Amino acid sequence: MTAMEFIEGPVWYAASAIFVLGIAWRIAAIFMIGRARDLSVSRRSPIVGAAKAVLLHSVPHGGNLGRTVYHFVTGYLFHIGLFALLLFAAPHVAFINAGIVALPWPAMPHWAFIIAAEAAFAGLILLYVRRLTDPVTRQLSDVDDHVGVWLTFVAMLTGCLALQEAHAGLRMLHMLSVEALMIYFPFSRLTHAFTFLLARVNTGAALGRRGFTP
Amino acid sequence: MVLLAPYAMAQSPPPFPAESYSGPNTAQGGQSSPEMWRDIRRGKSGTVVFPRPEGGVLIQSAGETWRLRHDTTVAYGGGLLLAVLGVAGSYLLVRGRIPIKGGRTGRVIPRFSLVQRIVHWFAAVLFVLLAVTGLLLLFGRYLLPPIIGQHAFALAASASIEAHNLFGPLFIPAVVALCVTFVRGNGYRGVDFTWLLKGGGFFGGHASSLKYNFGEKSWFWWSVVMGLVLSASGMALLLPSVIGDRSVVQLANLAHAIAALLFIAFAIGHIYLGTIGMEGALEGMTRGTVDENWAKEHHDLWWAEHKTSATADIRRAEVAAAERGDRAVWEAQR
Repeated sequence: MTAMEFIEGPVWYAASAIFVLGIAWRIAAIFMIGRARDLSVSRRSPIVGAAKAVLLHSVPHGGNLGRTVYHFVTGYLFHIGLFALLLFAAPHVAFINAGIVALPWPAMPHWAFIIAAEAAFAGLILLYVRRLTDPVTRQLSDVDDHVGVWLTFVAMLTGCLALQEAHAGLRMLHMLSVEALMIYFPFSRLTHAFTFLLARVNTGAALGRRGFTP
Repeated sequence: MVLLAPYAMAQSPPPFPAESYSGPNTAQGGQSSPEMWRDIRRGKSGTVVFPRPEGGVLIQSAGETWRLRHDTTVAYGGGLLLAVLGVAGSYLLVRGRIPIKGGRTGRVIPRFSLVQRIVHWFAAVLFVLLAVTGLLLLFGRYLLPPIIGQHAFALAASASIEAHNLFGPLFIPAVVALCVTFVRGNGYRGVDFTWLLKGGGFFGGHASSLKYNFGEKSWFWWSVVMGLVLSASGMALLLPSVIGDRSVVQLANLAHAIAALLFIAFAIGHIYLGTIGMEGALEGMTRGTVDENWAKEHHDLWWAEHKTSATADIRRAEVAAAERGDRAVWEAQR
């Protein structure tokens, strides 16, 4: 078995299993914790409260535009760019179609890949630079934040370095960095990709029931 | 396939004994035409079936000149970078790290706002990525194959060109933002030339300075000009089909290499002084504040304006720096 076969075989399956089971465990744990029964009389609909929380927290609101606009712009740049790369980049579409599931959409053209990559890198670098230089976010950050950012950056970078698809070594490097990210993912704050909606719905419903929109 | 109608060559010349061969066996009847080849060598354009810019040019002789100039640039550029590294290393060996002579006071002054620091580090991250990949592309073929082998170099070069092309366009808004964010206070004043005449205090004595000294101001304008040259030439190299004219692309290639080498050479000095070369300098760009004695020793005129904002409450000063930088003092003075 060659190194490439090992990385695309046993290591890939192990990383995928840890990723899927880890995320499932994190989500199940949230539901298993449950929450205390609210005995107060409902003032407004918790469903409307949940919907408001989900929508309002996706756009600047509450009169603090100046403080939040940076995070909204850079955050959307990074996340939209990253998901476009993840789901629509030609090598990813080919990889998913070949080994996981037949995707119902075509790959994006090369120029769109470049724009998505530029947006993702610009967003990630700007967010991380802010984290390091803002005295408040620097104090709030711990090792998990830094490791999560670096693993994501390396996975994105190695993917772009391998764009020519001319060297097996570069593909191997990308696969390895992605597998490292997948293994780390469920044990970190990166899990917010799967839990942020649950958190917003939970908070929005609880506060909405009390007649308050966060 | 370029088809030059006036000079069309026969597709399959008949076999002939080597000793009887007296010239190219072409549509010209086996006669070599010096005039024809001279015209081709001078870049005369013929006719092609599918017209496109420069499609009718058989030999673009300027490519040879470009290659020669490119190799010269590589040689002199490499020498320049080694010289700058040598000067910085020698200065460090002889003088050591420049300390805060009066020691740290424990009181800090806000110096750079959060916006300035974010813009600086965004540009710096891109600069490092572009410089490393660019230097590998420029010098790698001469230096790396004997060390890491041809295959590993091919892999590194392939990765470098992809990264360079990807991060390059991001550097354009970074340069513009750098220019807009830092332009205030970077105009030259009379005191800057006095600073220059005193050698910036690097060889003893004290040289007065405002917020930025002559060297820092020169670095700012150097970055803006080189950044713009790199941006324009880089886009020409990234989209050669848009430019069309090959000689413009060759010129862009040379301009890109020369501007990059000059930019990196100055940056080595900037990075040296901002990190290991001078105590207390880096924190201005990481935390936004500088020690009061550092300000007094290196930017005394700026310190005189801002000394009332010096505080021992470092965390509060960091937050103040993040929100306003040193603008509060200027605004109060107005």
